[in-house]
Amino acid sequence: MPLESILPSLFAGEAFRAAAIPAELPPDTLMGNEAFAAFYSRSARPLWAYLARVSADPTLADDLMQESFVRFLCAARPDDGEVAARRYLFRIATNLLRDHWRRPRQASIEEIPEEFFADVSSSAQSDSRVLLGPALAQLTLRERQLLWLAYAEGYSHREIAEVTGLASASICLLLFRARRRIAALLRDQNTKRGLAL
Amino acid sequence: MTLSPCPHEKEIAALLACGQWPHAAPADLRTHAAACRSCAELALVTSAFRAARTRAAAAAPLVSPGILWWRAQLRRRNAAIERVTRPILGAQIFAFLVCIAVAVGFATSHAAQGLGWIEELRQTARSPSTDLARLWPSSLAGSGSALWVLVSVLATVALLGGMAVYLASSEER
Repeated sequence: MPLESILPSLFAGEAFRAAAIPAELPPDTLMGNEAFAAFYSRSARPLWAYLARVSADPTLADDLMQESFVRFLCAARPDDGEVAARRYLFRIATNLLRDHWRRPRQASIEEIPEEFFADVSSSAQSDSRVLLGPALAQLTLRERQLLWLAYAEGYSHREIAEVTGLASASICLLLFRARRRIAALLRDQNTKRGLAL
Repeated sequence: MTLSPCPHEKEIAALLACGQWPHAAPADLRTHAAACRSCAELALVTSAFRAARTRAAAAAPLVSPGILWWRAQLRRRNAAIERVTRPILGAQIFAFLVCIAVAVGFATSHAAQGLGWIEELRQTARSPSTDLARLWPSSLAGSGSALWVLVSVLATVALLGGMAVYLASSEER
């Protein structure tokens, strides 16, 4: 047994503290700097888009995205591939968003101009011209989350259940209702825009 | 309201995922989607969300991954230090309480002798001829317990002093 381990920290100092850290966290479960940079470059934008659209607050999305990545890095989890890692990241973000939502709200989705999300390129197709913001504003947080994960991220019901913590069996019904609702809202919006034009 | 999806939904979803809807879709599928409520909703909603995702992702302000990695390292380190020092802090509190209990016990057990000593001190102060040897309590005079009391008092003072110095220095850090 090393002497430092039986001495109080007062006498052992920094050497004792530094030696104690690797014993707590197995290094094989932690992501290295370069691996993280690669993962970040592929995951950060989709995650920010999810948080910004569901929360309707770009500033909050910035904060939650950074916190999600930091928590992701702090979590000691096995390396089970990028798809699982991304799902885990979305799960952290979803939990953070839910925690934030339990506190009093400070911003409304209607306060965020749709232009903020305007694409810098002109690659949007005909249907994608539909402005999602006003329709999303009329949905609940859970409906927004479910719809985004299913139709923007393309997750299956099982994956959505894993991310949101809901029962897999209830995802189908919740998603069906949410899709029907937003489809009606988007159709109304299109009709109004058509009349206006 | 039925939950059973249209059999063509998977086909349309696959085309939407590739970005090939509706241009690369077969004509009969497009005709079906125009008539089927479920497929029309799927196409409308997926297109809107995919476009919103593209727009939002393009607008994402990203920080350097190095900063986040460094923050995570710092947080992990702090968490590990906290885990290590928590039991030490508990031991310190326990030691402090034991010292207090010993000091109180000692003071209680010697309170009677101390009172007698004060009374003798008063009498000495009143008497015209003061003898310094009389300042020592008569109950302790000539016995070995005098040394024991002195050592105990000094040990307690040293212990409490050491604790106070340590607590003060650890708070500074």
